[in-house]
Amino acid sequence: MNRKLIAIAPLLIFILICVFLYQGLFANPRELQTGRIGQTMPAFNLPDLMQDDKRWTDEQLKGDVYLLNVWGTWCPTCLAELGYLTELREQGVKIIGLYYVQSYDADFDGPFDMQALRDDVSNMLARAGDPYQFNILDLERSLSLDLGVSGAPETFLVDKNGTILLHHTGDINPRVWRAKFASKMQELQP
Amino acid sequence: MRFFLLTLSLFISFAAFAQQDRYQFDSNEQAVRFEELTKELRCPKCQNQNIADSDAVVAKDLRERVLALVKDGKTKDEVIDYMIDRYGYFVHYDPPVTPATLILWVLPVLIVIIGFGFIVIRQRKASVKQTWSDADEVMLNKLIKQNKRQEQS
Repeated sequence: MNRKLIAIAPLLIFILICVFLYQGLFANPRELQTGRIGQTMPAFNLPDLMQDDKRWTDEQLKGDVYLLNVWGTWCPTCLAELGYLTELREQGVKIIGLYYVQSYDADFDGPFDMQALRDDVSNMLARAGDPYQFNILDLERSLSLDLGVSGAPETFLVDKNGTILLHHTGDINPRVWRAKFASKMQELQP
Repeated sequence: MRFFLLTLSLFISFAAFAQQDRYQFDSNEQAVRFEELTKELRCPKCQNQNIADSDAVVAKDLRERVLALVKDGKTKDEVIDYMIDRYGYFVHYDPPVTPATLILWVLPVLIVIIGFGFIVIRQRKASVKQTWSDADEVMLNKLIKQNKRQEQS
């Protein structure tokens, strides 16, 4: 009995390693970046992307369930998800854009041109669909850092009290929506 | 021997972080703290680089924020907690011992203990003195004779 056990031990270890590595094939290493879940929206006071004199604060966003979508015209995946996000808006989901300026670095790009950015944004939204109620401009990416954003697109689900319930890295598509967001949304907005 | 040492020395490399010269610090202690932190914090975008090493936008932002916090007089642990608050345990290269990560510490020790245990047990079994009586001797001779007869027939 003992002999047999020792004889098949290598096979058992091999199978265990196979199972472990096979799981690794489908694991998403970015899944772990969820430092802000369960906490309230960090305090901020940032300008609107399209209007010069308008500013947004965390207090103004309270009272509604909304998606905060981090995006930029420089990001191809963001362009790809605009269509589906627009569909969600038509279904009554409130989506707020957090515009992530990647190119604002005087070392690389010279002075920042606000008008060029606005034209760029208007063009892209007219072409691919506009899912946003409004856009918050995060020029220095300070709110993005406070939210634990590492790039775009990323999406947060925030409830009426301003508590962050979900943090999704990557695009939103019907599959992701069903798997991650739909049930939570059902709870919040029956 | 000298050649060998020379060859060996070729395998040693020193990582250079030249960009840190760009930053101005109030004290040497702050500069050291900043350097330690940027080496210990992991870039959330490009996963196998620290933020000192990475050129990603987010790594640059994290460096700036670490700089600001260090200049504010925050201790190393305070800065690390600040980042973990935002980016999760993922952002620090030194993970804390939690039930989920316990296996990383326990498993190697367990493997060593089991391995040594196995060797000791085998050794003990092998070193047991065999008893050999006259009756065994007679039996052995008998068996040898039997065997020979079988081979001949």
